[in-house]
This record gives sequence, structure tokens and C-alpha cells, in this order.
Amino acid sequence: MLVLVLGDLHIPHRCSSLPAKFKKLLVPGRIQHILCTGNLCTKESFDYLKTLASDVHVVRGDFDETLAYPEQKVVTVGQFRIGLCHGHQVVPWGDPESLALVQRQLDVDILISGHTHRFEAYEHDNRFYINPGSATGAYNPLGAAVVPSFVLMDIQSATVVTYVYQLVGDDVKVERIEYKKS
Amino acid sequence: MEYGLNAFQSFFGFGQSADIEIVLDGTENRPLAEIKTEDGKKERHLLYYDGESVAGKVNIKLKKTGSKLEHQGIKIEFIGQIELYYDRGNHHEFTSLVKELARPGELIQNTIYNFDFQNVEKPFESYTGCNVRLRYLLRVTVVRRLSDIVKEQDIVVHTLSSYPEMNSSIKMEVGIEDCLHIEFEYNKSKYHLKDVIVGKIYFLLVRIKLKHMEIAIIKRETTGSGPNTFVENDTIVKYEIMDGAPVRGESIPIRVFLGCYDLTPTMKDINKKFSVKYFLNLVLMDEEDRRYFKQQEITLWRKGEKSYKGGGQSASPHQPTHLVAGEGGPKGTESPRTIGGEPTLHSPSDLPSSAFEDLQREDSSPVQQDTSPTSPDAPETVLGNDPPPPLIPETKNQIPVVDSEE
Amino acid sequence: MVEQQEKLLQEALGIVREQALGMKLNLDKGKLMDALKQASVMLSELRTSLLSPKSYYELYMAISDELRHLELYLFDEYKKGRKVADLYEVVQYFGNIVPRLYLLITVGLIYMKTNPSLKQALLRDLVEMCRGVQHPLRGLFLRNYLLQCVRNILPDVIEPTEPSEGTVKDSIDFILMNFAEMNKLWVRMQHQGHSRDKEKREKEREELRLLVGTNLVRLSQLESINLDKYCKLVLPGILEQVVSCKDAIAQEYLMECIIQVFPDEFHLTTLNPFLKSCAELQTGVNVKNVVISLVDRLASYSQNCHQDETSTQEISQLFDIFSDQVSSIIQCRTDMPPEDIVSLQVSLVNLALKCYPERVDYVDKVLLTTSLIFERLQLTCVEHTSAVSRQLNRLLSIPVQQYNNILTVLKLTQFTPLLSVFDLTGRKAMATSVVNNALANNTMVPTPDQVETILGMISALICDQEEQQEQDPEDFAEEQGLLGRFIHHLKSEVPDEQFLILVGARKHFMTGGDKRIRYTLPPIVFQAYQLAFKYSQIRDQDDMWDKKCGKILQFCHQTIMALVKAEYADLALRLFLHGTLAIGQIRFTNYETIAYEFLSQAFTLYEDEICDSKSQLGAITLIVGTFERLACFSEENSEPVMTQCALAASKLLKKPDQCRGVCVCAHLFWSGKSQAGQELKDGKRVLDCLKKGVRIAHQCMDPSVQTQLFVELLNHYVYFYEKGNALITVSMLNQLISKIREELPNLDSTEETEQIGKHLSNTIEHLRNRSESTEADGVSYDGLTL
Repeated sequence: MLVLVLGDLHIPHRCSSLPAKFKKLLVPGRIQHILCTGNLCTKESFDYLKTLASDVHVVRGDFDETLAYPEQKVVTVGQFRIGLCHGHQVVPWGDPESLALVQRQLDVDILISGHTHRFEAYEHDNRFYINPGSATGAYNPLGAAVVPSFVLMDIQSATVVTYVYQLVGDDVKVERIEYKKS
Repeated sequence: MEYGLNAFQSFFGFGQSADIEIVLDGTENRPLAEIKTEDGKKERHLLYYDGESVAGKVNIKLKKTGSKLEHQGIKIEFIGQIELYYDRGNHHEFTSLVKELARPGELIQNTIYNFDFQNVEKPFESYTGCNVRLRYLLRVTVVRRLSDIVKEQDIVVHTLSSYPEMNSSIKMEVGIEDCLHIEFEYNKSKYHLKDVIVGKIYFLLVRIKLKHMEIAIIKRETTGSGPNTFVENDTIVKYEIMDGAPVRGESIPIRVFLGCYDLTPTMKDINKKFSVKYFLNLVLMDEEDRRYFKQQEITLWRKGEKSYKGGGQSASPHQPTHLVAGEGGPKGTESPRTIGGEPTLHSPSDLPSSAFEDLQREDSSPVQQDTSPTSPDAPETVLGNDPPPPLIPETKNQIPVVDSEE
Repeated sequence: MVEQQEKLLQEALGIVREQALGMKLNLDKGKLMDALKQASVMLSELRTSLLSPKSYYELYMAISDELRHLELYLFDEYKKGRKVADLYEVVQYFGNIVPRLYLLITVGLIYMKTNPSLKQALLRDLVEMCRGVQHPLRGLFLRNYLLQCVRNILPDVIEPTEPSEGTVKDSIDFILMNFAEMNKLWVRMQHQGHSRDKEKREKEREELRLLVGTNLVRLSQLESINLDKYCKLVLPGILEQVVSCKDAIAQEYLMECIIQVFPDEFHLTTLNPFLKSCAELQTGVNVKNVVISLVDRLASYSQNCHQDETSTQEISQLFDIFSDQVSSIIQCRTDMPPEDIVSLQVSLVNLALKCYPERVDYVDKVLLTTSLIFERLQLTCVEHTSAVSRQLNRLLSIPVQQYNNILTVLKLTQFTPLLSVFDLTGRKAMATSVVNNALANNTMVPTPDQVETILGMISALICDQEEQQEQDPEDFAEEQGLLGRFIHHLKSEVPDEQFLILVGARKHFMTGGDKRIRYTLPPIVFQAYQLAFKYSQIRDQDDMWDKKCGKILQFCHQTIMALVKAEYADLALRLFLHGTLAIGQIRFTNYETIAYEFLSQAFTLYEDEICDSKSQLGAITLIVGTFERLACFSEENSEPVMTQCALAASKLLKKPDQCRGVCVCAHLFWSGKSQAGQELKDGKRVLDCLKKGVRIAHQCMDPSVQTQLFVELLNHYVYFYEKGNALITVSMLNQLISKIREELPNLDSTEETEQIGKHLSNTIEHLRNRSESTEADGVSYDGLTL
């Protein structure tokens, strides 16, 4: 089961489009679910995700104006409960302990959040945390240059293999991180 | 040919009788010519020309040997005569020469007499027509008290003409006002009998839907005079020259070979008894089967055969010189000339004095007949009072174009 | 109708078979005259007027097959030396013209084969004699028969071997004449019969056109026709006929035919006369199709051919010739619809792009011409749905797509002026496709001048136009979103240029009005922030960097204020906060003041403009989240902000919001930073916040919500406890846990209650893990009652 995790596109505020190399990778029909950490900003971006997979879950980012997206969401894929939250509401931003609060509240195995535009994937107290970064590499004032990235989760029963795709320079680099539910 | 009484006598065996045979000189070299008899059969006789001597032998063969034949004299006549069918009794002899072969006396054996009509004038051409016949014959008569023994022998005479000094083309613009203007041109006005008529028709204005066009050669034989004038028109041939409806500016070629038709030279007022004239009749037919026509007289003449007389030119009608060269007529997209709707645009100089004439229209509808009156300007060229004969299909090939839907 | 045709055809074919059989028997017996007579009977079937062109064609084919037998027989007979001349006369005795001419042609062929010296004369004779058939259908087939018969014997030499055998010139004359006559007949069909049958007639003509075109095919097959002959004899002859026939169907077909059958090298040399003739064609002729087809052929020819010197030279003139001739065609043909005029220009643009990709000026010239034409026609506004509009769209789209680089398109000075001919929808469509092209190709517009030009070009999207338009809000959003994306392509690598670009762009986008700027100004602001970062990066190379940064931030401030004025408070607030963060990072001269200004603007917006409670919570959370990150304020500036935040949080409308708000504020006092980057770790004020939270939770009426808040508060307590806030004690945790455990069983058994239970047990489990862990970072969990 392939789950695409991405967010913080910020089109058109900060970027004109997804990197062409990512678009090439994202072929319709291969992905079952999409979990989006928000900041799609426009309907077109959402529609684009819908062309990749019919099951698209989005939470609201700080630049999403639509009220249709919830602040948080829990999605069950296979044996995993996955929590989804943009993360701008979680202060300090990107802080693992603060995110753990959300994890506990949502009672999830995996918590996905964004906002920092920096890819992260780590285990913390036996739970798995993913930040897919910004799929467009959108500008963020918090620090250094943003590397465009997204995450693909391959969920097989109690195991999730996470592939992170990063556009470094002109090349797409892929890393693999495995997490087993205990 | 023997007369009945003679045969009767011979049959019953009274007295002596004799067979007469006329043998002309030079039969092996002299050509034969064909001529129709009165009842339409074709005969072939030796062919003579004007001024040629007619000489030969007369053989008289007695039918009974040993018995003598008394006679009042034997003569041979050379006769040229015109027979008018409506006046059977009177043969008009225009030539009659007599030679005495024997003085009165008796024949006791078969006898041969030579005769020679030297340089005989034969002013007219042998002719068999509808109402008239012109023939030349030799007649041998054994004059007897009761009944003469007579033998006749026909010859055919062809009159040769030299090339006409004047032989201008026939060119004329005709039409029906605002409907149809055409100009036709025949390359000559005088054609010899093996000649070929070459011509062209230019369509200057066409506002009716034509279906086809043909050329007919009409022979007109006129006999008699005054109230007893008989005119006989005979369509010798109908020849389709156009299929379909032309538009303004088209030119249609004409080429008719005369050689295969039964034609004679034109004969004018032969011995004040008859004339034979020829006309080219141009007939146009429209989609409603109305016929428009224009007759134009041509003169036919007989040209001396090369092998015989040696005179004249020797253009074979089917040499490429007779092929249409395309000159003079419109070529490609060019119009033959600037054609306006009105005939007045034409320069009168290259047209006959009456520049524009009415084309005759033969019509079933009397109302329409009135609409095509004879132009008073040029009555002599309008032959409307003499419409062409009805179309009689002869063989399938000769049916003029009539669309089969009718 | 069809059945009747079939019946008639079968009858005719029956007669043909019968007569043909007789003819062949007679030929076998050597009875030529009888055979000819039967051939003539057979041929008389072609005199019919009852057959449709299709059936007539079948009949014709059957008959011409049979005539082949006759032809072969005659050739066998006469090649031995018999004179054909007599036969050529004999067949002319047949009284009916159609059979007579078929036979004449057949015999004529034998005549020419056996006497090549007569070719010249006979060809002329035959083609001339055929004039006698003026009926279109019968005439066309007759002349087709003529053409078929002579196809292998047409003289095809430049110098005659024997004088009268003819040269290719005779063949040209012959075919041209035959062609002219056939074309006249074909054209004449149009004018026959009832006008209500026009459609049927045109269909029939369509079926017959190949017969006419075959003449041109034959001409093209004559190998001795060189370029010179083609220019001097062939083409003028054809064109004269085509033009003078004044029939639209014929003209269109024949012009197309010329293009297709003759080689491109010929066309290249004869462009002028050909195109001149195009100008003279009838009203109904789709001249543009003809011209376009020629252009397309020559364009691909010039692309593919091995360019020797002459053709290179000719190709170099192609554009000028076409351009001149097309303009005279347009001038002559006053009836030509504007869409056709434009589509001719399209073909010119295609030509220019294919043959001279580097000659932007050629394309520009076409556009100028087109503009002038519109001016002359007084067409000032073409409706989007109209055909002209479609063609104009093609005209402008082709350079966009072919160059695939809008920077090249920008070199077309006439592009924007011509755009103004469209109505609003048309202009928008064109602008959209320009923008999309830039986006698809990732084209960057690198100079302020180019930016100025392109924004002028797409102004239909940027601001309101004179024409008003109802637009679906979703479409509008999409359109403006597209513009927003495009702003990121207005980009120079040179920072100073980039600033000018942004200033210039903003000037344009500010004209878009309130409804547009929410889409277009944020990208400008974000680009400006990035530019400031860029200056910051090159501070070593640019002495003025910090002044410039100040200027940029001022620019951003003004820009965001425009959004404030347009009442996009939420958006403006976020942009200000982003600005604050950026300033905090860059730290140029006087940054604190400006950062404070930005932050206070955000705060003012929060207080004055954001009313709904959910937005308020979101906003205050963002302000706190942002402030937590900042390390740019002195205590003097940060103290009031933090106080304000806490106060604001406690003043939120709903109790749960207040509770959560103050909990978030607690972080300000712990991980909020001093100007030196030192975390504050003010345990007391953290505890004050949390206590305030507990108090507020107590005031909450809904037991379920209250319990939920307690669990959340417990987690915050645990958070700070674990972070080392010494003021938080285990007993506080125990108190909260027991309070929750007290309340929990009283709650209705709902999903929410279950969630709260789960939340609690997760928290307890966390604490248990921690207390059992040996590495507890010095945090003691002694006395914790789990």
C-alpha cells in the first residue's frame, strides 16, 4: 500500500509549481492514499492531488483559506493509525515533545506534520514521526535554503517503509527508513 | 433490247431476223461508271467524256442461216436525251448524230460494220433523278418494212470541270435575335465530288439549350418550268457534327468527306429542262426538339481523274493537309474573336452584305413560327420556305442524335 | 433511383458485350469494315444521357477495354506497312459524332504509331476534332480516352529527332488544349439543370474532377519539361485556363492539383505568377487553403532539401515573395472573410518559423501586416467565439508554441498591439497561453524591461478592462492563481535588477483592484523576503546590502498594507509575521524597530480586524508560535508583547480557547529567546499560565470538554516538568490525574469520552515509561501516582 505524504506547496504564494522531476515521479494510479500536511493554498493543487489518487486527506495549513480542511485528522492505513496535522499550531514549531503531545491526544502510531519545510522522520517513544518537508521547496524564513521533498510510505501490515524523495540540485535522492510497529 | 413485235415475229418463225451487237472500241481500257436506272437499280456502263470519239463495231448476226434479211437501210445513231418522267411520250434529244451503215438491200450473212462518231460533243453528265433522267445511248436500227430491228446501248458521260477560278469560302453569321448567333464557315463554295468539306461553326451567342447539330447534304432537283415546275429535295446524308450544348465562344469543327456519298456535279438548267443543285443544311436542335437550320448552296463539280485525264491537282482528301490545324479557330481558352451580344459589333467587311440573317426555325408550334420571321433585308438567303424533310431513321448509325429518353 | 441506374447500366453493358463479341469475331475473320460497324454500335451506348457519372464511368471502362482489342488488332495489321490513311478517313464516315470520334482516336493512335512523322499533325487534329462533343459528361470521357490513348506516344524530347515527330512543346500544347477543353466542360456542368439540384451536381462534379486533373498529371510526367518550359509554357497555360474559367470549384481543385503534381523546385521559381493568379480567383474559392497548402509544401521542402546554392537563394526569397503576394491577394479579394485573411497570415508565420527560425523580424512583419489589415477593415474588437478570433488566436499562439520561449515572443513588437484586437475573453485566452508557456518551460523573465513588456502583454489578466465580464469565482481564482505563479518567473539573478522587477511588477498588479491583489501581492511579498535574504547572503560583496534590505522590507510593508486596506486581515497578519521572522534572521541595521513594526501591525490586525473566535485562536497561536522563534527583541520590546499575548489569549471568547491559548503562551516564557538567543526559562510565568489554564478549565461547564482540557493541561504540565521547570511538582501532576480520574467515570460513554480516556492512558503510559526509564535526565518521577 503506497501512501504519498506531502505538503507546504505554497503555490502560488511562494512557488510557481511542483518541480518537474517530482511531477514525473508522481504517476496517477500507483498511489492509494495521499496525506497532505496542508498549505495547498489553491483548489488547483488539490485537484492535482486528486488526479494522482482518489483518496486524498488534507489538514489545514496556515495559508489555507478554505475552512473545509480540518486542523487535525486521523487516518487508518493497514494496521497503522496515522495522525495528520500541519504543525503551525504546535508551539514550539517542530518540537518533538510538543508533537508527542499531539500524538498522545490523537492516539496514533505515526504522526505526520509539516510547517517547518524540513524533512524529518524519526522514532520517538516507539512512535514514528514524519515531516515530509515542502514538496515545492517553498521559501521559509526559519532558516537555510529549503530542499524540495516528499515522502512515500509503503505500508505492509505492521511495517512501514518510508522513502523520502529530495531534490538536491537537479537530482532526486531517495532515502529509505523502516519503522515497525511494536 | 428488242422490241416486242420483233420478238413476236421471231417466235413464230416468220421471216428472217437478226441479233444486233454493239461493241465499243477500247473496252478493256475504258473504265465503267455506275448509274442508277429509273427503278433504282444500278448499272455499269462504259464511261465517256465530252469530245471523245465513240467508235466501235456493230455485229449483225442472222438468226437463220441460209435465209436472207431484207432491209431498207442500217443506221447507227448517237443520242443524248432527257426523259421527264411526267412526260413519258416526249424525249428531248439534245444530241442526235446518225451514221448510215448500209444502204437498203439484203443481208445474207453475219455482217460487221465499223462506226466512228468522232469527237462527239457530250455537253451534259448522265443523270438519273427523281423526275428526270439524262442518258446517252447508241442505237442501231435495221430498217424494215414492217418492223425495224433496233438495238440500243447506253454509255455514261461524266462532265469534267477544271478547277474553279473563284472558290471563295462561305462565311456567314446567322441567328435568331437575342437567342442564338452563330457564324459558320465552309472552306469553299465549290467542292469536287471526292472533296472534303472543312469548316467551323462559331457560337457567338447561345441562349437556348442546344442538344446537337448536324450537317445535311441536300440535293434539289428542279424539273420543268413555269406552273409545271417540280422540285424534289433529297437528303443525301445527315452528319452529326456536335453533341451537347455549346456555350458562347465555342467553335465546332466540321469535316465531311464527300467521297462516299452518291453525288453528282451541280447541274444548272440543263437544256432548259432541269437543274440539280446541292445545299449544305446546317441544323441545330434544341432540347425541346425545335430545329433551327440554315441552307447554303454549294457547287459540286467533277474533277478529272488523274490517271485518265491527267489534269488538275491530286490532293487525296485524307492526307494530313486536311487535318484540322486549329488555326483560324479558337485555341485553348481564347475566344475566336471578341463577341458581344449584338451582331453589330462585327466588322461588316468580312461578312456578306446582309451581315446578320435569321436562322430558320422549323417548329411544330404555329405560334412560334411567327416569332421567327424571314428577315426582309436578305430574302434571297433565307430558305425558310423549304424546310428540311422529316427525319427518317435509316440505319441505327444514322439516327441523328435524339436522346433516348424521348 | 439507384436500382434504375443499375438496370440501365446492365442493359448497356449487355449490348457492349454482344457487340464487342461480334467485333472480335469479325476481326478474327479479317472483316475490318464489319468490325468497325459493330464497334460503332457498341460505342453508341456512350451516347446515352441517362446514366449517372458513376455508371457512365463503368460503361466507359468496359468499352475502352473492348477498344483495346481493336487497337491491338489494328496495330498488328498496320505495322506491316498497310496505309492507315484510308482507315483514318473511313472511320469519319460514321454519322454519329461520339462513336466516330472514339474510332478516330483509336485509329489515330495507330496512325501515329506507324507514322511517327504525323504525330504533330494528328495530335492537333484529334484534340481539335473532339470539340464536336460539347456535352460535359460525354466530352469529358471522350477527351479522357484521347489522353489515355496517347499517353505513351507523346513526344518527350526537346529537340526533334525528325522534324514532324514533334517535341515536348507539341505535347504541352496538346495537353493544355485538352485540359482547357475538359475544364470548360467540367465547369459547364455546374450551370446545367435545375438550381435545386446544385448539391447533387457538385457531388457529381467532385466525382469527375480526376478526369480534368489527369491532364496535369500527364504534364508532370513529361520528363523533358524542365524548369524553363514549366515557367514559360506549362504554368502560364494552366493558370490562364484556371483563372479564366471563373469557377470556384474548378479553381480550388486545380490550384491544389498544380501544387501537388509538380515538383517543389518548380513551385519555388514560379511563386510569383502562381500567387498572382490566386489573387484573381473567384469569390467562392478558398484561396487561403491553396496558399496554405503551397506554403506548407515549400516550408517542409526547404527544411528537407539538400540546399544547393540556387535553392538556398530561392528559399531566402520565399518569405518576401509570399508576403508580397499574400498581401496583394488580400487586397484584390475584397470579399475575403477576415478569418481567411488571418489564416493566410498564419501560413506566413508558419513559413517564417519553419524556414527562418532565427528571423523574428519576419514574424513581426506578419503581425504588423495583420494589425494594419484589422485597422483597414475597422475591426477593433473580434468576438471570442468568432472564426476570426480563432484564426487570430492561432496566429499568435504559433510563435508562442514554436519558439517555446516567451523571451523570444517578447521580441515581437507587434504582438501586444495585435492582441488588442481581441475581445476580453480572447485577450485573456492568449495571455493565459503565454503565461502557461512560461510556466511549462520554466522560463524566467530576467530584466525589468522584459517584465514591463510581458505584463503589458498579459494586462487582460492583471487589471480590469473597459469591457466588463461576469466571471465564475472559481475560474477567476484559477486565472489569478496562474498570475501569482507567474510572478515567481519574473526573476533576475542580479539582486538589484530583481528589486526593480518587483517594484515594476507591483505597480502593475496594484492596478488589479482588491479582488486580484490577494492572489498577486503575496507572491511579490514572498519574493521580496527572499530577495532580502539574498542580500543578506552577499553582504560581503555589497556594502549597501542592509540599506537595500531596509528598502525591501519597506516595500513589503507597503505591499502588505495594501492587503490590509483591502481587508485581507488574515493574510496580511501572516505576511507580517513572516516578515518579522525574516527580519529577525537577517538583522540589518535598525532591524529591531522594523521587526517590531511588523509584529505590532500583526497584533493590531489581530485586535482590530479578526473577529471570529476560531480565527482569533488561530491567529494568536501563530503570533505566539512566531514570537517563540524570534530572538530579535530586547526585553523592553518583548516584554509587552508577551504580556499582550497572554492577555489576548485569556480574553478569547470561548473558555476552551482561552484555556488552550494561555497554554500556548506558556511556551513564550520558557523557550522564548532573548536578543542574545538565550531561552527565557521563566518557570514562574510558565506556571502562572498553566494555573490560569486550570482555572479557566474549572469554569468550563461541559464536563466532557472540561475533562479533555484537564488532560491537555496535564500534558502541558508534564511537558514543562520534563523540561525542567522546577516550580512544577509531582503533586501538581497527581492532583490533575486524580481530578481527571474522578471526572472520567461520570462522563457519558461516547466516542469523545473514549478518546479522552485514551488520551489519558497514553499520557499515563508516557509517564510510566519515563519513570521506569533509567535515563530520566535528572527528572524525578518519585511520588507520582499512576
